[in-house]
Amino acid sequence: MKAICYRLNSALTGFFLLAFAVVMPALVQAQTANDGQPVKALTTNSSGALLVLRESGLFVLDGKTATEIPLPPSDSVPRPNSLATGADGSLYLSGPGLGIWRYEYASERWQSLSHTLPDLGITAIAAHATQPDTLYAYLGEGGMFRSRDAGAEWMKVDSGPREPVEAFLHSDMPGSMESGWLFAGTTRGVARSMDCFCFWGDAGDLRGTVTVIGYDPSAPENVYAVIEGQLHHSSDGGETWAGIETPQAVTALTFSPTEGLLVGTENGNLLSRHASGGWGPVHE
Amino acid sequence: MPLEDGDLFMNKWLVPLVLLVAPALVMAGGEPSNGDGVPTEMAEGRQIYEQYCASCHGWQGEGAADWNKPDEKGEMPPPPHDETGHTWRHSDAMLFRMIAEGWRHPFNETDQLTMPAFKDNLTDEDIRSVIEYLKTFWAGDQRRYQQSESHSRDRHPS
Repeated sequence: MKAICYRLNSALTGFFLLAFAVVMPALVQAQTANDGQPVKALTTNSSGALLVLRESGLFVLDGKTATEIPLPPSDSVPRPNSLATGADGSLYLSGPGLGIWRYEYASERWQSLSHTLPDLGITAIAAHATQPDTLYAYLGEGGMFRSRDAGAEWMKVDSGPREPVEAFLHSDMPGSMESGWLFAGTTRGVARSMDCFCFWGDAGDLRGTVTVIGYDPSAPENVYAVIEGQLHHSSDGGETWAGIETPQAVTALTFSPTEGLLVGTENGNLLSRHASGGWGPVHE
Repeated sequence: MPLEDGDLFMNKWLVPLVLLVAPALVMAGGEPSNGDGVPTEMAEGRQIYEQYCASCHGWQGEGAADWNKPDEKGEMPPPPHDETGHTWRHSDAMLFRMIAEGWRHPFNETDQLTMPAFKDNLTDEDIRSVIEYLKTFWAGDQRRYQQSESHSRDRHPS
């Protein structure tokens, strides 16, 4: 009997040691990724991995593995606040005082794209939904700039909406005179313009400071906006809006090809929305 | 070799003569014009504009009042074509397509075209003429922007 107990005890100890050795690195990496601070921005890369911008850095989450991407060099303390993925899968990062950068996955280096911008005060960026070389940058009072050669040359195209832009996106929603639409989160609500920059108008009557905006690339009429942590959804291109309940205040959102709508929260959590409408942790 | 009288005459009168006549020759060799000195294409464009476009977009391209807000039927009113509008933001190819095929604003509350199609009323040449006439409403920097859009459009067809 003693021998059986001894063997059982040894087996259990071995099992727990093995399990601890396997799980611990993932736990450490997950903890590294979640700093408990609000998620600042989210996007996905071409392979579907989630890119998470936190106060503590930029991370790629692939399954349960979190890998940090060092932020680009900066003369001052960098304040990255915006991520975008281009139509070719390129990753773009920007922020006030930081300018705009593209990450070269092959060389694992950042390339500055700010040389022809008037200053580095970029508050928001967007990448064209279908044209890999077309990018947009908003410079506050400087207005809205566009590059059609992947950031080599920037040209001011517009002053932007009447109210300051907090975040914006380009969408290939049908019906534009040109190639798509721009949706901007402003201090008044959501502003919308065709990408000819013909004129900015209110997208519905959602009012408040929109700090986060996103859309479903597979169904572009579905637009999402966040006001004071509350998530709102429009299924008709911004004409009408309805609130969506979330367990925590939302601070970032994106669409994953595999998991659909994903949000980052004020507590640093990443949540995906189930088909039932409920929310669950990402990658768990 | 010393200059002769003939050479002196040539030097004395040739330069002023060239300066006087050359601009006229250049003008004559440029676009054909009507009796008022207005290029023929522009005159045709103006005539077409006044016949087909002005009743909605204004005789001076001023557009409808409150053109950037839906009207009581939920339709977007005709925009200006002058420097206060956004026509100058579109390439020649896009303007041609909109005039020929028309366009419906996706948020119109009716199913009607916002901009009617004119391909059954106007030839391709007519449409090109009216586009050239629209450009006379724009400021210089707007014309340069639109020219850039037209070139860019060739590289980024949507």
